[in-house]
Amino acid sequence: MNRVIEIKMGGMEIITDDKEELKTFVGSCVAICLFDLVSKVAGMAHVMLPKKSDGIRFTERSDIGKYADEALSYMVNDMILKGANPKRIKAKMAGGATIFAHESETGLFNVGPRNITFLKQILKENDIPLISEDTGENFGRWVRFNLHSGDMIITSNLKKFEKTI
Amino acid sequence: MLKEPVTHLLRKTQEIPIMNLDLLISNIEELNVMSAVYVKCDGDIRMGILLYLPEKESQMLAEKLLGKPISNELVDIATSSISEIGNILTASLINAISIDTGYRICSSVPGYAIEFFRTLLEAVISDFGNESDKLVISNVELHGVTSGICIHMLLIQDSSEIRKLVI
Repeated sequence: MNRVIEIKMGGMEIITDDKEELKTFVGSCVAICLFDLVSKVAGMAHVMLPKKSDGIRFTERSDIGKYADEALSYMVNDMILKGANPKRIKAKMAGGATIFAHESETGLFNVGPRNITFLKQILKENDIPLISEDTGENFGRWVRFNLHSGDMIITSNLKKFEKTI
Repeated sequence: MLKEPVTHLLRKTQEIPIMNLDLLISNIEELNVMSAVYVKCDGDIRMGILLYLPEKESQMLAEKLLGKPISNELVDIATSSISEIGNILTASLINAISIDTGYRICSSVPGYAIEFFRTLLEAVISDFGNESDKLVISNVELHGVTSGICIHMLLIQDSSEIRKLVI
């Protein structure tokens, strides 16, 4: 039985033991997972928003995964410090749903799709391949990442499914 | 609420770190699918308002409003009617705040969703886009005296916005 490390909203965790699993819940937020399966280092962030608007870099805040730009920067650096080879780092992600529907204005309640677009852009800029994703739609997801297999397991209580990407 | 007396109760107001929002989720809310309306307010004061009730109760409410059972053909109208109820309730609150304070407040069109409370809360907090690490959340209940229907209302604000209301 793996030890499960749950990541709170806006949080981020790195693991280096393949008996550990990372787990979070996302609706319009995105669970972004970076991993190097050879070095057995993986990180997951619960990204709430694309970019920090005040431009001030993080210090020792606990919600280091809140903004996509900060989360990825911090996660890559920390993974390298823990033995990951930057050339082997790959990504998987899930979430970014549009939960609330409305009858008029476009662009309202669309933080989910904006998170996905921005994360893909940063991954591309950093030459990190996105191996697989389960994003969009209109429902929440439980997301687990298994460092031993590299599998990301997605579960929806509303849609009653579980799938591995 | 649709020709019946309504009582209201402020359950709790608390300042809560975004990372601890799980604390707001009760066991009942974890297990039941909710019908929800979300309205975002901007202007002199910034606020998010989430109204929700169990999906089955929302169906009762929609049937009461429409005056007939909800068939497949009426699902869109039922959804629209729930959004409209949410709109009326939030508009009443916004008007009251505006009259008392003189603040100019603009509200968005209502967003509608059917999901578990955890998803609704996560989506609303994410959409609210707070830059600080904490939020002030008030939990209000509106009870229909005859029908027994209970609508929950979460008022979400940044601490600085609360100060605007208190001073």
